[in-house]
Amino acid sequence: MKPLAWLRSVASALLHRSRAEDELDEELRAHISSRADDLERSGVPRPEAERRARLEFGGYQKFKEECREALGLHFFETLAQDIRFGLRMLRKSPGFTAVAVLTLALGIGANTAIFSVVNAVLLRPLPLKDSSRILSVTTKTPMFPLFNLGNSWPAFQQIRSQAASLEDAAVYNTTDRTMTGQGGPAQLRVASVSDGFFDELGTKAGQGRLLRPGDHRPSENLVALISDAMWRTHFGADPAVIGRTLVLDGKAYTVVGVASHSFDFPEKTDAWIPIALTGAAESQPTYFMFQMLAKLRRGRTVQQLTPELDTIAKRMMHDYADLGDGFSFNATPLLETRVQNLRTAYLVLLGASALVLLLGCVNLASLLLARGSARQREMAMRAALGASRSRLMRQCFVESCLIALGGGAIGALLASSGVELFRAIAPAETPRLNEMAVVSSSLLLWSVAASLASGILSGLAPARRAASANPHDSLKENLGGKQAAGRTLSQLRLGHMLVVVEIALAFILLIGSALMTQTVSNLLHQDPGFRTDHLLTFDLPRPRLSFDVDDATIAREIDRLKKILERTRAVPGVEAVAASDHGVLSSRTMMHSELHTDAAAGREVPKRRASARYVSPGYFNLLGIRLLRGREFTEQDAKGAPEVALVNQAMARAYWGTPDVAGRRISLERDQKTKQPIWIDVVGVVDDARDVQVANEPMPEYYLPLLQEGTSSLSMAVRTMAEPGGIAQTISREIWAAFPDQPVTHVSTMTQTISESIGDQRMRSTLLMVFAGIGFALALIGAYGVVSYSVAQRIPEIGIRMALGATPDGVLRMVLRQSMVLVAAGVGIGGGAAFGLTRVIASQLYGVKPGDPATFVLSTILVLIVACLACYLPARRAMRVDPMVALRYE
Amino acid sequence: MPAATPAQILPGTLDLLILKAVSLGPLHGYGVLLRIEQISRGALLIEQGALYPALFRLVRQRLLKARWGTSENNRRAKFYELTSAGRKRLREEADGWNRLAAAIASALSTRPEEA
Repeated sequence: MKPLAWLRSVASALLHRSRAEDELDEELRAHISSRADDLERSGVPRPEAERRARLEFGGYQKFKEECREALGLHFFETLAQDIRFGLRMLRKSPGFTAVAVLTLALGIGANTAIFSVVNAVLLRPLPLKDSSRILSVTTKTPMFPLFNLGNSWPAFQQIRSQAASLEDAAVYNTTDRTMTGQGGPAQLRVASVSDGFFDELGTKAGQGRLLRPGDHRPSENLVALISDAMWRTHFGADPAVIGRTLVLDGKAYTVVGVASHSFDFPEKTDAWIPIALTGAAESQPTYFMFQMLAKLRRGRTVQQLTPELDTIAKRMMHDYADLGDGFSFNATPLLETRVQNLRTAYLVLLGASALVLLLGCVNLASLLLARGSARQREMAMRAALGASRSRLMRQCFVESCLIALGGGAIGALLASSGVELFRAIAPAETPRLNEMAVVSSSLLLWSVAASLASGILSGLAPARRAASANPHDSLKENLGGKQAAGRTLSQLRLGHMLVVVEIALAFILLIGSALMTQTVSNLLHQDPGFRTDHLLTFDLPRPRLSFDVDDATIAREIDRLKKILERTRAVPGVEAVAASDHGVLSSRTMMHSELHTDAAAGREVPKRRASARYVSPGYFNLLGIRLLRGREFTEQDAKGAPEVALVNQAMARAYWGTPDVAGRRISLERDQKTKQPIWIDVVGVVDDARDVQVANEPMPEYYLPLLQEGTSSLSMAVRTMAEPGGIAQTISREIWAAFPDQPVTHVSTMTQTISESIGDQRMRSTLLMVFAGIGFALALIGAYGVVSYSVAQRIPEIGIRMALGATPDGVLRMVLRQSMVLVAAGVGIGGGAAFGLTRVIASQLYGVKPGDPATFVLSTILVLIVACLACYLPARRAMRVDPMVALRYE
Repeated sequence: MPAATPAQILPGTLDLLILKAVSLGPLHGYGVLLRIEQISRGALLIEQGALYPALFRLVRQRLLKARWGTSENNRRAKFYELTSAGRKRLREEADGWNRLAAAIASALSTRPEEA
């Protein structure tokens, strides 16, 4: 019967089981009654007729049983039998069962944990209404060709009103603001949102109300929606929170609502307020300061939206000459924008965990095979007693699935602690970390699916063998006959193949984890180009200065900066202090919208734009960045003095083609009236440093004096005499004494910062290392098992060899040589596969190439040595074979 | 029952007999039994109960199809009829059987001088 038809009949038998049973009874009874009727008609009295009819029918129960079998009603009863029998067999050899279950538990656990993470981060829709229709729209401009920027307000207005494929659009921007009046000063993440923002995301207020269109009046409207977490931590879960006041950057906002518990967009937002537009931001098409969310109409696609956005971009280029050629919009599904950087990394982890699971399956298969040889006779006996081939095969699958389900149950437990572990070691900025449930239905489903799949996969080899069980041969063996040599050979060959596969899989994992570990170590030991020891950093956030700030405010800010520097420097244990506008290794860059140099006219402007950093005097000295040409900034480079700049070597080479640029000029803005560039002297050149990201080559950078321009928020760097950990408290107190409302945030030593900046790579390398460890252990157990099994099978042969004069050493060498051929084949295949696969992670590696020869050679040596040990133990047993004992088996 | 000792049917021939019996018109289980006795003129003995596993097997192989109806004496009964696959199978088996029977018959009728 065709499998599908069989399945159908089994399914219908299962569905209509009781009806089928009833009908069966009815039909058989009808037969007996009809017979009795006939007999009665021929003159037999009724009771006698019924008796005879029953007798003639034969064994009622026996035939009924046969009928049920023929109907397919039997499948489940016999399955239950098989399961009971399987359980009994597993109980009988608890050692084997434990190893087998654990083998799979590790594989399933690793795989399920990673799947849960991947599912939570990459696959599951964002917890927003109709999230698949929500897009993020970004701007590309020739001014900053390498970046996806936010959108200007005019662009938002045009897109919202003109893109026909959109249902609605909203913008927001996130800033850090200082909250006062609720205990000590604290920094909050505040999202300023346009109207339509909450409608688009489809959320409801937990308490009070959301922001509504009326809140978005042209004038500033001081109302706020706070997050559920905020309500609990800062407002003590006050039920009467609506109407209370929230002071942000000195402005009092009225709390109008609390967001629902599950609403967290943009991630980790503490409060939402209406966007307050200042004059310039509302009309300037080059203020790319808003993140845009656009919601597609039902049934529309991004492909339909793109040409509409292009049309709008063209019209805007026409209307605003400042935008320049090549201005365009780009729409991407929101989920994608949030996880795109992680996709490869996570899929690699998922792949690695799949390899571990596969290894577990192969291992279980080889364990089952080895044990199967001990059960050959049992199978043969059952075949001789009339068990069908399919029944014997099913027995094998039932047993492997039982083991796998046991493994799956333990695996699910392992997986849920794995997810917990992941949440603990994942870097804090990992998206959707808080959406990740430790136990979820997807986790459980996946572990069940993984167990059944691996049960069937690892049952394949034993089932194939059971199907070929020949009762004749096997039973003869039982009577002292010789083993059917051909079949033993083919079994051995299968076992050997499994060893090769296992070693190959383990080798791939080993290479992957070795490359990732080197990446982490390379990053950790990368010389960033500045002194990282005894260095404490922290941020002093302040409200952003408005675009059209007056001179008096700047003077006040500079004065404040000087005071902070003085006070910090006075703290005992502080060797030196410097400030900049954004932190060292904060991964942030700042760029001016215009940057010109006095380089020769024909020179091409580099595609990678130089970024700016405002620094206080002594900054380079403190960090240990060498001055190569000219001079550093001094106290004299202050407000009112001629404007000056420093550039780093990378910028000098990129823009002028020479490091000798002291005395050259750059320009960052044009005169409002004459439109002529305002030039600034480059007074010195400093050495390159990786002060943005350790993993990136030094970027072209120019430095401007903080004392000249002033800035609101500061990032401080303090060189300490002793270990920097303890001094932060004293410094904070010192600053609070002068500026009680000043939050001190992101306190960290440079060593910590570097370590955290590679948190993602470190997590991945840790996981890969764990996987490789598990995989390697499994492969060794597998190799050990198969070699032991093959030695056991070959005892008579070895006996003959020894009787014919082979030395124990010779036998040892022979067994080892043969095992090592398998291991070498595994390494060869695994090496080839790893060579191809590691290209996938090329972009995640640092300081090491995917096909790094040293890694491959060392891993090969490692695998060969360890595998040699794993094979040595059983091989030694071969050496000890006593020819007399062995031959007596014959 | 006929007076002559009825022969036990050969294994494997029951299916063929059932197919043949049903090919003459839809029958319920007991009817199949009667029909076989009738067409074999009582020469073949069938264990009555063994009929049903065979019928169910044939239904599952889609050689027969079954439906519930009312028997001539007004009992609810399940009627079997041939499917087209069943008809084809009957033809093949019958041919095979005839060839075999002819071969055996010819073998058995061999006289000593012909050997």
